[in-house]
Amino acid sequence: MTLLEVERLQASYGQVRALHGIDLSVEPGEVVVLMGANGAGKTTTLRALCQMPGLTVSGSVRFDGRSLSGVRTEHLAGLGMAHVPQGRGTFPELTVEENLQAGAYVRRDRAGIRSDMERWYDTFPRLSDRRAQVAGTLSGGEQQMLAVARACLSRPQLLLLDEPSLGLAPLVIHQLFEIFAELNRTDGTALLVVEQNASLALSIATRAYVIESGEIVLSGPASDLQADDGVRRAYLGF
Amino acid sequence: MFPMLALPLALPGVNDAFFNASYVLQLLTNGLSNGAVYALMALSVVIIYRTTGHMNFAQGEMGTIGCLLVFSVSVSHGVPYWISIPAAIAISMIVGALLQRTLVQPVERRGGMGVILVTLGLFLIFNSIDSVIWGTDPLQPVRPFPSRPDDHLVVMHGPPQFAIRYSAVGVWITLGVVVLLLHLLLQRTRLGLGYRAVAANADSALLVGIPKDRMLMLGWALAAGLGTLAAVLFSQTTGSLDFNLMASVILYGLAAAALGGFDSIPGAVVGGVVVGLVEALVPAFFSFIGSELSLVMALLVIVVVLLVRPQGMFGKARVVRV
Repeated sequence: MTLLEVERLQASYGQVRALHGIDLSVEPGEVVVLMGANGAGKTTTLRALCQMPGLTVSGSVRFDGRSLSGVRTEHLAGLGMAHVPQGRGTFPELTVEENLQAGAYVRRDRAGIRSDMERWYDTFPRLSDRRAQVAGTLSGGEQQMLAVARACLSRPQLLLLDEPSLGLAPLVIHQLFEIFAELNRTDGTALLVVEQNASLALSIATRAYVIESGEIVLSGPASDLQADDGVRRAYLGF
Repeated sequence: MFPMLALPLALPGVNDAFFNASYVLQLLTNGLSNGAVYALMALSVVIIYRTTGHMNFAQGEMGTIGCLLVFSVSVSHGVPYWISIPAAIAISMIVGALLQRTLVQPVERRGGMGVILVTLGLFLIFNSIDSVIWGTDPLQPVRPFPSRPDDHLVVMHGPPQFAIRYSAVGVWITLGVVVLLLHLLLQRTRLGLGYRAVAANADSALLVGIPKDRMLMLGWALAAGLGTLAAVLFSQTTGSLDFNLMASVILYGLAAAALGGFDSIPGAVVGGVVVGLVEALVPAFFSFIGSELSLVMALLVIVVVLLVRPQGMFGKARVVRV
């Protein structure tokens, strides 16, 4: 069964329509990349999937066999969809530890939460060193690690990643993408990644979509898009 | 012939009595008692401001209704205070949460200044309800703590005498207990974590599954409970009660919140105490400032502090990492 099935997704900010009918799908355990230029509607697509405040959304979104129409944003984490927003969206006044606890807000199994937290501290030792530090004082890379770990603490089936590489050093970016691939391999977590750094994203992806002016213009297996001349010139830069 | 020589300590414009220890101590204790009430008021302002970014101007009037309920049940009908005050606080909390849900939330969704108008409207409505039901004449005050004239501990025998009233100690302890409980609720419970997460980043809070709307209701409920408690204590410390009980207290509370920093809970407590002390001490120190000007003095201190630290004493200056 398809994990995420999106049909004719439209979204507007007030009177301004940003998405004109997006169709896309994510299978369980898949890594899907959404590519596109600035302002094409990548972030809006992810925000529309989560019914974020400020957006008027129409169209059909089915997740894990159920329709998400009328489902409120705060219920998605419990259903198994987690979202790492653009700009990380950590809780700056809360400590690293509290950020992770908030990530597990929808869970009640204390022991499981504890062991998951330790797992992510092992994955990101820099977070472990800063458990009691408030998140606002972390570096950009550390904040992104925290945002990813926080989202994963809800044990999602699908993780939405919005520009995870934005503003980070190349070394940190590579480390993060290795961890995404690892998460996908070991936990079977499906990923829907919006990414400027298209070649990097395609390297871990199974399929990809290209979005232009609020519409999907191209889709296919990641390897096909990597080989496509138009895509290479427009998004891969060679 | 030369009065200046006869009183070498006297400075122009300074009240001589201020150099008497027991007089100053008496002023200090009065200031601390009022300051505790202002601190509770400031706390209720801050708790709503942190999650929503707006102020509830009706907070004082909502507290006044709570206090008048206690009056009707306990002063008029003799029900013990330990029943009536917790009950009034509980009712206030429910009403506060319902107001947030039914009136504030729909207006808030439309954005803009609507919520300010709603709370100003609530101010007028509650003030009118108070005067319609309980009249405009002074009523017998609410006195949960021992309040006979000799219910005090004499520390310095006079004249002038310095004594600490049991009721003042009761007010201070109440503030301490409230701050402790609030701290435990916010720092040690799942609910408190949710509230703080919404205050820190509302969108992210939704994404991790925290019901933001319910946290906003929680904020209004807590604030309404604190407002009623503040009104009861203010009636006790001033020995007065009428439909306008909290009209000036909400101003002092807002001032205290501004002084401490609108987003800081410790700031609200310290701000409240400082405003209470300034109000008590400054007009007494300068002989040319009448007690009518005490509010002005308190506000003047705040203006000076905010000129130096616009975010208040404990507020966070927003640092944005790009």
